Amino acid sequence: MRNYSSLGYLTQVFIILGLVIAFVPENTTLPYKLSAGEMLEEIQIGSEFIHPDELADLIINKDPSFQLIDVRSTDEFQKYSLPGAINIPLNLILADEWSDILNQDTKMNIFYSNGSTLAHKAWMIIRQVGFENNYLLQGGLNYWLEVILNPQKPKSTDPNDEFAKYNFRKGARQFFETSSPSTGNVREISAPKPIIKRTKKKKAPQGGC
Amino acid sequence: MGPLIPQEIISLDWNLVIAFVVGIGFGFVLEASGFSSSRKLAGIFYGYDTVVLKVFFTAAITAMLGLLYLSLFGWIDLNLVYVNPTYLWSAIIGGIIMGLGFIIGGFCPGTSVCAAAIGKIDAMVFIIGIIIGIFIFGEGFPIWKEFHEAGNLGSLKIQDIIGISGGLFTFLIIIFAMILFKTGEWAESQFTREEY
Repeated sequence: MRNYSSLGYLTQVFIILGLVIAFVPENTTLPYKLSAGEMLEEIQIGSEFIHPDELADLIINKDPSFQLIDVRSTDEFQKYSLPGAINIPLNLILADEWSDILNQDTKMNIFYSNGSTLAHKAWMIIRQVGFENNYLLQGGLNYWLEVILNPQKPKSTDPNDEFAKYNFRKGARQFFETSSPSTGNVREISAPKPIIKRTKKKKAPQGGC
Repeated sequence: MGPLIPQEIISLDWNLVIAFVVGIGFGFVLEASGFSSSRKLAGIFYGYDTVVLKVFFTAAITAMLGLLYLSLFGWIDLNLVYVNPTYLWSAIIGGIIMGLGFIIGGFCPGTSVCAAAIGKIDAMVFIIGIIIGIFIFGEGFPIWKEFHEAGNLGSLKIQDIIGISGGLFTFLIIIFAMILFKTGEWAESQFTREEY
């Protein structure tokens, strides 16, 4: 019979590697998906912005492909929020309880805040962590108020497009004034959760020998 | 960056191609190490040859160390690595059936295919047995469905149950493996067989 005494040398390798790994702290850093350069590129393209018109269209048509994330404080959220929004204050954006909602690739995450700074911060963090499909409301609620809730009538010399937009906004305003919880009527935080957690990939082949 | 497929660095469609290549490599190594001999495999039960124990335990600790070091260097996200859920009762009964089949048939599923590939008739009969077993299990599934799914403990890791770090647990397993290997060598010296 053969002799497997070369084990002696392997034993030492395994024990040394094992000793090292036993005393090294586990790596808990999140795996970043974007480098700083890639991030800069995305910001410069500016494709992360959703115009209030687009958002109004999505909400009015009850489009199932997006979820609104309100990153302001809970107080502000309770005073005014867009219909269907989920309140995740910026300081909780990385909390485990929200990761199932934010980290899924079936719905767009549309962040908003009063201006666009806070939402942009949230967007950058979430984008950096590597979650998919993130957007933010251009100009925030201030711009939303200006464009959708107080649309300005275009001048008579403006192109037809402007009038079409104006008409859409007037209709949208009517929609949001009648149906939105603009005062009181607070939506609970337990907003509709997306069903899909993490997309289950095909199970790896199982079994030993 | 890893795991490569869940992170979609390699497309899911490559899964089977990679499995095919790895499978061929695995089969080649099994055959090259003499694992297509049922006498060698059965040696672990009688104590005259414990190379099976050494090979598979070495594979396990190599993989454990590899994953932990890759994770340490930030090359793999262990949270994305699929962990088989533990179905307690299925695992116990399945283990007993697997062990019985192993010692009665002289092969485990992978090595039987290996041995069949080099023309061993007993391995071919073994594979027919596997297929009959799969057929009975599949067709009779409603009968043992409830038992099959009982005791679902989710994706458990032993290190989380006893509350130590993955690194320490791996180290303990390495020590345990070394003790087992020594015991195996002792057994080989006690139950020596000249030819098998």
